[in-house]
Amino acid sequence: SSTSAAAEGEVRTVFHDPENFNVKHPLMNNWTLWFTKPPSGKGDNWNELLKEVISFDSVEEFWGIYNNITPTSDLALKSDYHLFKKGVRPEWEDTQNKHGGKWAFQFKEKKAINIDALWLHVMLAAIGENLEDEEDNEVMGVVVNVRRGFYRIGLWTRTVGKADQSKGRTVEQGREVLNKIGKRFKQALQLKDHEVVEFSGHTDSAHAGSTRAKAKFTV
Amino acid sequence: DTHKPVEPAQPTAGMQSLKSARFLQVRSELVNYPEGVQSPNPALNQSNKNKGRVYDKDFLLQFQLVFKEKPSVDWDMKLKETVGDSTDSARPQSAR
Repeated sequence: SSTSAAAEGEVRTVFHDPENFNVKHPLMNNWTLWFTKPPSGKGDNWNELLKEVISFDSVEEFWGIYNNITPTSDLALKSDYHLFKKGVRPEWEDTQNKHGGKWAFQFKEKKAINIDALWLHVMLAAIGENLEDEEDNEVMGVVVNVRRGFYRIGLWTRTVGKADQSKGRTVEQGREVLNKIGKRFKQALQLKDHEVVEFSGHTDSAHAGSTRAKAKFTV
Repeated sequence: DTHKPVEPAQPTAGMQSLKSARFLQVRSELVNYPEGVQSPNPALNQSNKNKGRVYDKDFLLQFQLVFKEKPSVDWDMKLKETVGDSTDSARPQSAR
């Protein structure tokens, strides 16, 4: 006497039937995954090393990608994954990034941490829109760098906490927004209170050499 | 085995579902998720400020073991062109 589970017009999610679902869960933003190949040592230029992998806008598609891509822990040294809002190149020269900066944390004990879980949790915080409130309009993307002595996870922001007249935002409010985002990022990374996450502006980094930028604020 | 002719790959049922599925209206459509599946946290999506597309980590993690389809039939090739074989770049000297 029960009616067919596949009734017309019925909402079927991937949890009801992963092979035959008719709705998917939309993301607030369209995201693009990028990959930086390690240099071959033959004078390759950065543009050839930075590759756009795929764009997506649903929760289901994210998992299809995540479940079928090389885990961070298997990447060669000098590789990066970048997950950025579609239309923004993960480079500080991009017009949408050049007035911005980044929150970043280096994990120096590579063997003591689970980089795959950390990077996953940061990506989930980004696509699930847990890092900022909608009107903040600061988050550009997140990045993981695989290096000899450390893993580093970063979160790029549109500004360095400036006043924004179009939003009626004062300098202090701009900084508060960045600090709030920094705290949520720190939470997503499950860091302890004494582990300090540092913010630096991209132009400072560019002038000082990428590793020597002076941190502007910390959380 | 590089000389074996390659059959044109067919998209799987899951790939086709992903393509044809419509976006759920998270704020206005009530979904009866199967027992044991947590629905997107309504508290996150009731503010007028967002479009009902805010998801917490626990909700998102439920999909991890459920949806494992490759994004497309040519995914392996695409992955090789972009991310590459991790063995390629990690061990450039090994000629097997």
